[in-house]
Amino acid sequence: MTTETLAMAAGVLLLTAVMQLWRRSVSGAITLLVVQGAALAGLAATLAAVDGDTELYLVAALVLLVKAGVLPAVLSRTATGTATSREDTPRVAPTTGLLLAAGLTTVAYLAAQPVAAARPAAAAQTVPVGIALVLIGFLILLTRRQAVSQLVGFIVLDNGIAAVALLAAGGVPLVVELGVMLDVVLVVLVLRVLAGRMMRAFGGSDLAELTELRD
Amino acid sequence: MTPTTLILTLLPVVGPALVAAAALAGRRARWTDLAAPASAVLILVCGIALVPVTMHDGPSVWGVLRADPLAAYLLAVMGAVAATATWSGMAPRWADSRPDGWFAALMCLFEAAMAAALVADNLGVMWVAVEATTIATAFLVGYRGGRSAVEAAWKYVVLGSVGVAVALLGIVLLYAATGSAATLSWSALVSGSIPMDHGLTRMAAALTALGLATKAGLAPMHSWLPDAHSQAPAPVSGLMSGVLLSVAFSGILRVQAVSDAVLGPHSLRSLLLVAGLASLLVAALLVLTQRDYKRLLAYSSIEHMGLLALGAAVGSPLALGAVLLHILGHGLAKASLFVVAGRILAAEGSARIGDVRALLTRRPALAVPFLVGMVALLGFPPFGLFVTELGIVYAGWQQGLGWAMAVALVLLLVVFAGLARHTLAMTLGRPGRSRAETAHDTVHSDTVHVDGALHGAHPHGGRHGYPDGPTAPLVLALGVVGLLGLAVLPLREVLTSAATLLIGGTP
Amino acid sequence: MTVTAQAGLLILLQTLVVLAFAPLLLGLMRQLRARLEGRAGPGVWQPWRDLRKLAGKSTLRAPGTHLAGVMPLVLTGTSLLLVALLPLLGTATLPWVPDDLFVVVSVLLLGTVAIALLGIDTGTAFGGMGASRHMTIAALVEPTVLVAVYALSIPSGTSSLSGIITARIDHPASVVSPISLLALVALVIVVVAETGRLPVDNPATHLELTMVHEAMILESSGRDLGWVEYASWLRLTALLGLVMNLAAPWGIAQQVSPLSLAVALLALLVKLTFAAVTLSLVEVFLAKLRLFRVPELMAGSFVLAFLAVTASYLVA
Repeated sequence: MTTETLAMAAGVLLLTAVMQLWRRSVSGAITLLVVQGAALAGLAATLAAVDGDTELYLVAALVLLVKAGVLPAVLSRTATGTATSREDTPRVAPTTGLLLAAGLTTVAYLAAQPVAAARPAAAAQTVPVGIALVLIGFLILLTRRQAVSQLVGFIVLDNGIAAVALLAAGGVPLVVELGVMLDVVLVVLVLRVLAGRMMRAFGGSDLAELTELRD
Repeated sequence: MTPTTLILTLLPVVGPALVAAAALAGRRARWTDLAAPASAVLILVCGIALVPVTMHDGPSVWGVLRADPLAAYLLAVMGAVAATATWSGMAPRWADSRPDGWFAALMCLFEAAMAAALVADNLGVMWVAVEATTIATAFLVGYRGGRSAVEAAWKYVVLGSVGVAVALLGIVLLYAATGSAATLSWSALVSGSIPMDHGLTRMAAALTALGLATKAGLAPMHSWLPDAHSQAPAPVSGLMSGVLLSVAFSGILRVQAVSDAVLGPHSLRSLLLVAGLASLLVAALLVLTQRDYKRLLAYSSIEHMGLLALGAAVGSPLALGAVLLHILGHGLAKASLFVVAGRILAAEGSARIGDVRALLTRRPALAVPFLVGMVALLGFPPFGLFVTELGIVYAGWQQGLGWAMAVALVLLLVVFAGLARHTLAMTLGRPGRSRAETAHDTVHSDTVHVDGALHGAHPHGGRHGYPDGPTAPLVLALGVVGLLGLAVLPLREVLTSAATLLIGGTP
Repeated sequence: MTVTAQAGLLILLQTLVVLAFAPLLLGLMRQLRARLEGRAGPGVWQPWRDLRKLAGKSTLRAPGTHLAGVMPLVLTGTSLLLVALLPLLGTATLPWVPDDLFVVVSVLLLGTVAIALLGIDTGTAFGGMGASRHMTIAALVEPTVLVAVYALSIPSGTSSLSGIITARIDHPASVVSPISLLALVALVIVVVAETGRLPVDNPATHLELTMVHEAMILESSGRDLGWVEYASWLRLTALLGLVMNLAAPWGIAQQVSPLSLAVALLALLVKLTFAAVTLSLVEVFLAKLRLFRVPELMAGSFVLAFLAVTASYLVA
């Protein structure tokens, strides 16, 4: 039962990441973030039920609140603030991006071998999903031109790291978890303000316009 | 941990945070200008006081905090460099500047976060503190406003956060590698008493080092550094170049200590060698053709970080001691140089090297500190950087890395040539036919528009800098760097115990 | 009856059923679309009438074309082979004619190439254009078919299609597992692309911008056109039957007996009708994709299938 739930949550995580890479709509990407956050919270709750760890329930609730609630809300406000609705000209064509995502999933599977070797628990076998999420988050970050899309990529990256933490180690100590979440929320808020300033200074939030500083 | 040690460890973190809150509450008060220097001096005093205590009692842990000679030494270094940068970055007495509580509060928070990163025992807490420095400096980097500043701030935050996120992945995997022990305490990890999976530890340590290397400005993750350090106001640049890079680098040293304890000595050697040599190469290539003197100083920071990475790669007691001393010398020299560069920018109105000429004859008050600072940075004897660079090279040769040291020396020579050339171009020569006069009237898109700075008080205060300021901190800082070469002996004990900690002597 | 004879009977029956039902299926789809679009529609028997009409017309071939008469027959042959090989009515197979995944994909590809050659052979601009678009789509579709069915075959350990379906009947949990769903979604997209339905290709249009399949058969007439059309309908029916049997394998005959055959026949007809109705509804509500977005869709389906494969390795 738990293996299936774990597999389902992991599958949803990966699927949402791939869809975010595929779709051009920014609001669609933010909605998928909500789904991703919910899947991550589900993952934490399943692991909490398996280990009987009450701290992990708290972490699951926190993840749900922050990753599926606060962060997507901030992002959608940023999207309206910078008048971004579609990612029209990504640096890499969606086809190539999708094929790269397939390649990155393979890489993630290979890279997760040390983890699987070290922790033979069932959860540890699903760690490649977390690492794939990290790599796909990187890909989204690198190939997007809109500021909000880069933010989405950053949050996907962070979701991936949280997934790895949950699957490989059953979560990190509560103090660290709280600190990390606080930091992520603050970074996103800071980037929101900067995106607003960019809108005022450049008249848009297209990052390809940032060419003033060069050697 | 004894109560004294606890107070001395907590104070550098809590003190500046409280000062920040107070500065925010009293935003318009005049004393907010003193908030940042005062916090820096507090950290300096605590650090200096902590050194004999930890040397006498040995390392001690309390919760997520740790007091050991390494932390104490680095706190003192941090305090000294921060004091230099913030004190000399203060507005001159004749200026009628508007106090900015936000700026002061952010600077104090920045200092508190860096101090927290130094005294953290839990690697996760260290990560949180390092990320907090990115958050605190985000608005400091973009303080001047305008397109370049926003661009620099965006790149800084995104690249910094992404790099540090990789470090988080590494820390999470390290936590997983501890197995049932489930600890992130540096003291426990370094003691070697926890059975850790080797393959996973290797991967985790490499990822953490890579992530922290992004924050430390090592190539190839350095691209945010020239932008951020050239666009930020002068005291912020000084603080970032002098302290933040070193704090991130101390994180790398601590990770290396853990990795060596589990996997055997020199486990991260190849990674650090590649990063160090790549940084030196990048700096060498881009210093020669540089056109902006603040970016020039930023690339010099990359060069010095590369040198530190080489020293860490060598890993012998001599090398690590030299690295720690180099952190002090580089920090003081770079902070002074950035502050003077800020003053030059305010005076000349242009950040381009080509637009600044004959400073020595026109503005000796600016040119002399600039020259002295550059001489210190380039590693002339008797300045301390000469001794430390020599120490690192010799230690490398001793450990069989002679080829790497030879390459490093060649690249250092190239950087030397580039820096010297640009400095001499800026300071020597005859005024008159130069573009310096016309620079007053031109407004460059990537520079600061200075109106009336030469003729009196500037209405906008710290945002655009002043051509003048306190000289005492510069004299003190450069003097210390100068004496550093001779003063190695008193510092030897601290350096030795700190270095031994890292190599895995007494935990 | 021996096993071979049983299998032979099954295949014969299967072929006859599909041969009879395919034009009806298409008629149903067209009629449903027409009704949904507010038209009266030609009635569900129109495809049969079209075939009778085409059979009576004279065949015009451009001088110098050698393949125009051959390729329609090749296409029909591959379609018949497909109908015979795929486990539509039952899972019994002839031992020397494997219904292995790779064989089926090869037969599909043979048909694809045949019709592309037909398009090029006419020497007209439309034919060449249609053929090139068709082959581009095919190049992206073939790997996805392989990977998607491979993902479905991992739990059963065999690449024989009837083996996969038998395994899915025996383990109902695998039918609703997320991996299976992912693979089936990818397979549906692929079948839509392979058979030239919306949103990849519009079978009702003859505009240059929107033709793929129709462009290749634009120059065919009379008997040639009749063969080609019939062969396409057979392919559509066979592939739809395959997808429905993979998605909902219950009802298929696992042994040859009158009762099980009757049940299987009924089940097949129900499943095919359901698939046809769904496809028509989707076609009415979706617009055709622009041609350069089609590779995106194909790459997306490939990634979905690939994820299904990796996920099944993770859980296994």
